[in-house]
Amino acid sequence: MNVEVGTTIGSVSAAFSRTDLVRYAGASGDFNPIHYNDAAAAALGLPGVIAHGMLTMGTALRVVTDWCGDPTRVLSYYVRFTKPVVVPATGTVEVTFTGTVTGVSDAVATVTIEALCEETKVLGSVSVEVRVD
Amino acid sequence: MPISEAHVGRSYPATAPYEVTAVKVAEFAAALKDADNPAYAGDCAVAPPTFAVVLAAATWDSLFGDPELELSLSRTVHADQRFTWTRQLRVGDLVEAQLVIDKVRLRGPAAFITISVQLATTAGEPLCVATSTLVHTAEVAA
Repeated sequence: MNVEVGTTIGSVSAAFSRTDLVRYAGASGDFNPIHYNDAAAAALGLPGVIAHGMLTMGTALRVVTDWCGDPTRVLSYYVRFTKPVVVPATGTVEVTFTGTVTGVSDAVATVTIEALCEETKVLGSVSVEVRVD
Repeated sequence: MPISEAHVGRSYPATAPYEVTAVKVAEFAAALKDADNPAYAGDCAVAPPTFAVVLAAATWDSLFGDPELELSLSRTVHADQRFTWTRQLRVGDLVEAQLVIDKVRLRGPAAFITISVQLATTAGEPLCVATSTLVHTAEVAA
């Protein structure tokens, strides 16, 4: 595992459909209707039904767990949900996640993840601490 | 009175013990399209790190069910999220979760609410702290 600062650790792309949002709602227990109901999304001024931030966050972390091979190495994880991922009623929207090492200290690597949806960054200030001993 | 800075520090009773099961871990991994990761399969599986949200979301019922706060889940968006793990959850863990309101900031009809959820086993072993900023927008009376 290359843990030099600046190393790109990998990329994951995911296509999200409305079905994926319903599946994530059931798996997570987050049944906020803005994630499946157009009227609820519109009532909040959203441009459409949006993906759960936690679905985006959870999917993004696959970049790190695929790289380090052991999810128990993940010590902390922070994201800001900067832009909504709007999921169309039919078809899918694709988000691409790319991880880069930003720091290494005392056998802990800090990784940031860029999340791009149609060239817009949908996550900000992403920081993952991973044990790399 | 709807939610305000006066509610900072309010906590809710811990959730009933939740048993992490192999089936639920596999279901959650599949929802992240990560069912092929062998770490998440079988009776000795570890949960995907963000599985902690399953426990955290269960505590949100107490927040949104608190009549004094006048909050509606459907008028809430998630602004940021932090997890700090002592160790990852795994199959067989019996977990309790407790929510505390850490911070409230009001700006017009919007309330920026920071909550933290402490996850621990029923034996008292700390597992994870999940801290969220939620933005709730009150309906403006017509």
